[in-house]
Amino acid sequence: MILNDIEIMFGGQAGDGSLTTGDLIAGVFKRMGLEVYTYKDFPSRIRGGHTNYVIRAGEHPHWGMADFVDGLVAFDLEAVEAHIDEMRPGGFIIFDCTSEKIPDHVRRSDVHWYEIPLAQMAKQDLGLELVRNTISLGALAKLIGMDPEVVRADVAGVYQRKGEKVVDLNMRAIEAGEAYVDRHFSEWPSGYGLRKGTDGDRLIMMGNDAIGYGALVAGCRFMAGYPITPATDVLEWMAKYLPKFGGVAVQAEDELAAINMVLGAAFTGVRAMTATSGPGQALMTEAIGLAGVLEIPVVIVECARTGPSTGMPTKTEQSNLNHLIFSGHGEIPRIVLAPGTIEDSFYLSAEAFNLAEKYQCPVFLLTEQALCQSKATLPRLDLSRVAIDRGKLVSEPVVFGEYERFAFSEDGVSPRVTPGVEGGMHLAAGSEHNPAGVITENAKNRARMMEKRMGKLESMRDDLPKPAIHGDPAADIAILGYGSNCGPILEAQYRLAEQGVATRFFEFRTLWPFPEDEVREFIASAQHVFVVENNYTGQLERLVRYVVGPLERMHRVLKYNGRPFRPIEIVDPILEFAPRALAEVKR
Amino acid sequence: MAMTMSPKDFATATPSWWCAGCGDYGVLSALKQAMAELGKQPKDVAFVSGIGCSGKISGYLHSYAFHGVHGRALPVATAVKLANRDLTVIAAGGDGDGYAIGAGHFLHAVRRNPNMTYIVMDNQTYGLTKGQSSPTSASGYVTGTSPQGNPDAPINGLAVALAAGGAFLARGFSAHPKILVDLIKQAVEFEGFSVVEVMSPCVTYNKINTYAWFKENVFYVNEQPDYDAADRAHAFDVLMKSEKIPLGVIFKNERATFEAMTHLPEAALAGLQLEANLPALEKIQDSYF
Repeated sequence: MILNDIEIMFGGQAGDGSLTTGDLIAGVFKRMGLEVYTYKDFPSRIRGGHTNYVIRAGEHPHWGMADFVDGLVAFDLEAVEAHIDEMRPGGFIIFDCTSEKIPDHVRRSDVHWYEIPLAQMAKQDLGLELVRNTISLGALAKLIGMDPEVVRADVAGVYQRKGEKVVDLNMRAIEAGEAYVDRHFSEWPSGYGLRKGTDGDRLIMMGNDAIGYGALVAGCRFMAGYPITPATDVLEWMAKYLPKFGGVAVQAEDELAAINMVLGAAFTGVRAMTATSGPGQALMTEAIGLAGVLEIPVVIVECARTGPSTGMPTKTEQSNLNHLIFSGHGEIPRIVLAPGTIEDSFYLSAEAFNLAEKYQCPVFLLTEQALCQSKATLPRLDLSRVAIDRGKLVSEPVVFGEYERFAFSEDGVSPRVTPGVEGGMHLAAGSEHNPAGVITENAKNRARMMEKRMGKLESMRDDLPKPAIHGDPAADIAILGYGSNCGPILEAQYRLAEQGVATRFFEFRTLWPFPEDEVREFIASAQHVFVVENNYTGQLERLVRYVVGPLERMHRVLKYNGRPFRPIEIVDPILEFAPRALAEVKR
Repeated sequence: MAMTMSPKDFATATPSWWCAGCGDYGVLSALKQAMAELGKQPKDVAFVSGIGCSGKISGYLHSYAFHGVHGRALPVATAVKLANRDLTVIAAGGDGDGYAIGAGHFLHAVRRNPNMTYIVMDNQTYGLTKGQSSPTSASGYVTGTSPQGNPDAPINGLAVALAAGGAFLARGFSAHPKILVDLIKQAVEFEGFSVVEVMSPCVTYNKINTYAWFKENVFYVNEQPDYDAADRAHAFDVLMKSEKIPLGVIFKNERATFEAMTHLPEAALAGLQLEANLPALEKIQDSYF
């Protein structure tokens, strides 16, 4: 029996309640003391279309999906057909057989089948088809050994606000599911089990919530945004919490307005942010250039999705890296940070505001659908780790005529006044200007201003979030990656190590300015270098190659079907491309 | 602390780039006069402009001035106001900046009704790019980009604003400085989003809508004995049906501001202590257990 290590997939049609049930299962796993990761794969529509929700639980934290699905709860045949190939041999499928049958060509003999007329039981025995979700939960709980008390308490908690009748109905639904399994499948165990631990001091949080929370703790008090999947959660989170802390969140008429509002608020001295995804990011490009030249601290959260154009709005991709680093006419200093976990989403979100104010430039926080809309268990966030550093912000009166908003300085950063400060009046112009802010096309001034602004990219180096190095630092095989791939890469490392293949992994936390020295040093002694990313053209690999030059044994591990990596998709190419390294290790 | 201010207190050392005789000079001097008469301090004035000849105005008013990208003065200015309610916030731009590239923001600023003033300097042409047709150019207007005559119908900005829920709508003429000063003062003192459209002739490229043409083609609504600026239907009629261009306060009717609707605190956000109450912040993560 496989104990305390399971990946459940809930699959059905969008809008049928599988997300609620998925969240419930995640909560039960957490309360049973397990570490949880969830991944939502849903269509870009409100109702209808295949959707699935993956819940993974284990004794150790995982920040990604497993190689295979252990248990599929399928509410229709489409869910089975879509995912039968992802099933682990020995896994199981709970199938609602009310109105569909499993055709022979679909039925795999190496998985267990639990065919239960869920909808029929819900309608006939309980009077409401919707509760088939809860019946399936009861059946699943029985099959894998979820704690029945925790299941009941959590279900009651979720439906409490709908009244006692609804709670009671769901309790009976759980029992119906359990009873069906007892009656029909007592001879066919699932092969999976759970042992109850204790729910320690851990929370379960979605990536986008962690970003909002980090911003709030860092003192962000203004947000403007335009709804766009998968970034909308951040605006909704801030709209809920900002007013409680004296701030405001504005739903703008478009992304052009949103980013310009953020510039206006930040110019006035408020820590300000927006959150968007690729299409919105494209619209914001011009104003981000303005923030660069006006030296205004703005934070832009980019929740990347599959592009170009509309692409697949609810699916994941890492194809916006080039856009964040290189977009825009003209040249500006900019910072691109990328958290690899939900926990780091919180801390890097907070740190983005310090970097923005210290270096008076735009800071991007780059995340992706697979990370920002996933949930995971994490240790209590340490708010004392968030220190607020406002850089060269001036709130005392200055002497008009002496004070220069864009004064040249060693680090390229000038003292920054905000409206209302006596003596600090000046023009902030997107046109090239002199240190006092007066528009000028003087050639010498232009060159010095470029050097001042772009010089910040060097002066900020020591302050930038450092990469995390995982694994054996002397291993011949080096892996580089960022964002949602960190979880699968870490797991691939563990699995390779079990097979005797040592690896080292460079987790980028700052992508721009590119950590050239660290990358060069990391790669120098490696025999094989694998760059893992979710795009077609190898955007990160090109950046690495640009720094280290052509490297014969550099390999791209790419995935661009809109879904995040499973560990096996990293393990296999490493074993395939590096047979010699493997042979040497084995010898 | 009441101080007597003079228009000179709002002058910058920067010489202006406009052509001699440009209508924008009239707007600038009326604006300085209005600021002085209202007793404003330069440090408390935030002045946001867009791009074009008119957009250059922010460089000539001693204040906290913001000269941003084309068409986006209103989102910037709206957020400046939200970030610090103590500031007097004025946005300015031309007919291209406000009614073409920035038209979307114009409509939504009117809807939101933040307590600020927007001055649209209308010269019915694109001056800085050398005389193309603009959203307010007459149909048939011949330019380099419309050699067969402008194919588009001109936009009536104030009528559009009135339809979108405009609260204060006025129109002035840069050759009538005293009245323009009064209109700007009323607009700034109005509690809500106030629009002042100013007929501001381009002496270089627009040979049709000249000072002489305007003098023949404008009238003041308050010269009509029964004009009621609080009457929306009346305002619509005068904007849509007049043969000549109506000037003066065309519509004025207070409604809840954006600040009120968003329950924005009175104190400036920009002055908030950022190290917020830790127990309140901890409580948020408690809800994730």
